[in-house]
Amino acid sequence: MPVSMKQFKKIIPSLLLLGVLSLSYRSAELRRFYISGRAQGTTYHITYYAADSLLTRSMIDSIFDQVDSSLSLYKPYSLVNRFNTSAEAVKMDRHMRKVVKAALETSRITGGIFDMTVFPLTNAWGFGPAGQQPLPDSAAVRNLLTCIGSDKIHIKGNWLYKTKPCVQLDPNGIAQGYAVDLVADKLEALRIHNYLVELGGELRVKGRKQPSGQKMSIGIEAPGENDFEPVMEQVIYLDKGAVTTSGNYRRYHETNGKRRSHLLDPRTGYPISNELISVTIVAPDAMTADALDNALMGMGLQHALRFIEKRPALAAHFIYHRPDGSVTDTMSSRFKRLLKP
Amino acid sequence: MDRRHFLEMTGLLSGVLMLSPATLLAHREDAIRIGIIGCGDRGQGIMQMMASLKEQYAITAICDILDFRLEAAAKLAPAKTYKDYRQLLDAKDVDAVVVATSLHMHYAIAADAIRAGKSVYLEKTMTYNIPEAQELVKLCARYTGQILAVGHQYRYTPLYFKVKEMISKGYLGDVTQIDCRWDRNWNWRRPVPTGYADEQINWRMYKRYSGGLPAELLSHQMDFINWAFDTHPDEVMGTGGIDHFNDGRETYDNVQVLLRYKEKGMIGNFGATCGNAHEGYIFKIKGTKGMVSLLPDKGVFYPEEAAKKELQTVDGVSGATRLEWNTDGGISIVNEKMQDGTWYALKEFYNTVKTGTQPVSNVKTGATTAVCVHLANEAIFSHKILSWKPAYNF
Repeated sequence: MPVSMKQFKKIIPSLLLLGVLSLSYRSAELRRFYISGRAQGTTYHITYYAADSLLTRSMIDSIFDQVDSSLSLYKPYSLVNRFNTSAEAVKMDRHMRKVVKAALETSRITGGIFDMTVFPLTNAWGFGPAGQQPLPDSAAVRNLLTCIGSDKIHIKGNWLYKTKPCVQLDPNGIAQGYAVDLVADKLEALRIHNYLVELGGELRVKGRKQPSGQKMSIGIEAPGENDFEPVMEQVIYLDKGAVTTSGNYRRYHETNGKRRSHLLDPRTGYPISNELISVTIVAPDAMTADALDNALMGMGLQHALRFIEKRPALAAHFIYHRPDGSVTDTMSSRFKRLLKP
Repeated sequence: MDRRHFLEMTGLLSGVLMLSPATLLAHREDAIRIGIIGCGDRGQGIMQMMASLKEQYAITAICDILDFRLEAAAKLAPAKTYKDYRQLLDAKDVDAVVVATSLHMHYAIAADAIRAGKSVYLEKTMTYNIPEAQELVKLCARYTGQILAVGHQYRYTPLYFKVKEMISKGYLGDVTQIDCRWDRNWNWRRPVPTGYADEQINWRMYKRYSGGLPAELLSHQMDFINWAFDTHPDEVMGTGGIDHFNDGRETYDNVQVLLRYKEKGMIGNFGATCGNAHEGYIFKIKGTKGMVSLLPDKGVFYPEEAAKKELQTVDGVSGATRLEWNTDGGISIVNEKMQDGTWYALKEFYNTVKTGTQPVSNVKTGATTAVCVHLANEAIFSHKILSWKPAYNF
């Protein structure tokens, strides 16, 4: 409908007002806010730039509580624990539905190197909530493998079914990334567009630092000698996206001088053992990055590099052992571009 | 059988046991044969620790002037028992001795042991006073074949070693202040069994036997500072009193000394009381870049704000388990569980005896710390400011 002059004149004041408002909105200086705390057995750090402190600690706690109630193996009442002890099925909440769907997709594209049904192995190798156990023998591993595989769970409506009672989920390789995404979603809902969310070394970033307008810098940690002396292998600069790292240099068990990684291969039933020490993934969201970093650890360097180069949304950095035992690093082509501020 | 005969019999028996296959299996052939002189709490503690180091040590002789101590110690090891340490020093089946007696006997026993050809693990503080420290240094210079190690065990624990490294690498910046406390809220006395005199058991309460709280407790921290900064204090001032337990003791139950390290630009505050236990043990080393707070088995580094920014040069860090800050803004210095300090010290004593190398805590460093303790007590009792003398540089 064409606007008549008369109508237009009526609108002018409100347009002017709008202009003034947007001007004043623009000139309202963005300040830096910082919140840190503990969640999911680790620490979180959130930096955001806004005119006021819009994100509160109780909002953050509520997000982590929801994720815990749905996906924590350490909360007896959680939905995932109910699924693990159930004979057949549970009704999922929105968190579980999202995470299970993403896990099934990741399992598909990685040929089963990532598999959320790995929990019986996690426990048997002593990395579950029950702690260290006597090591399983090959017969026990073979037996456990009959409970593992993404073909043994399926979604029907809001329900998640298992084909046999021993099928159990381990959301640890993916739930942390999901929680980071939820905090980012919350910031977006509060119309905050410059932020960095980090939970246990998994990050999601958007926008720029204010008022400098610089990109956020993210250090990729390498195995160092001291905790108070972190070694930054690389520093990358991100406008938008998520960064997660998976490594076997901190979490492992040792018997008779032999290290066993906490990363288990759901296809063989044994701890992953190859040249990789750590893998850092850059992806659009933290859940994707989180699920993929473990899988890439399992692929080995060459396969993992090919996997990343084929997917334009992804970039990766690898620290690995050369055959002579020395430690070195390499990266995908898109990761290289992120090294420039 | 009377007691003397019994002791001789057990001595004989244990001599026989030493040759039996079972014992040979229990101890490796190259284990050091040890005589324990002084079987009080500390001596027995060392015996128990040595029991877990069977490859390194075989306790062949034990000695104490108090019968009940000797009897208790005899239950810990099938060793020959002595009441006179000089006889123990004559024994052929003793390679080295542990001296864990009251402080006033340290010098005499250690010197006799060295002269008798034994290596010595001498409990801290090394000697009762400065002249004895100087004498022992001179004596050891003449007997180079043997090892004398002083039980300042912080020098052997990985945690304290790491802190020394942090200091020398400059992580703490310029250190200006050191705060140490070793507090308790009880009389620091042991029960006296019937038939024994108080001074035999509670020798720490008597000036002629003991250097009191500074010698028994604060010497550890003083020694660590000497070692970590490769220094010694230039001035010592102090105060103290019998302020709560006026129970006939001579040594003070409340002391505070101030050590001025001129060359390093540091002040050390060392205090101990028997009248409050809230903070217990404190050991804080404060520098321009950060502070280290130490417990015997745990250490936390608290970077100053500026240094924290230096550590956080990036906006975020991605890692398998990234740098974890405690809720109070500190970083844990070592994460593995520490053994008791004595364990590390005894392991090292074995190595130094076997290789003939000087231990990190040796007669010279032990003498330096003994001088610090002596000056501290002098300052406390005389209310004078005392200065370091060139004669104290070992």
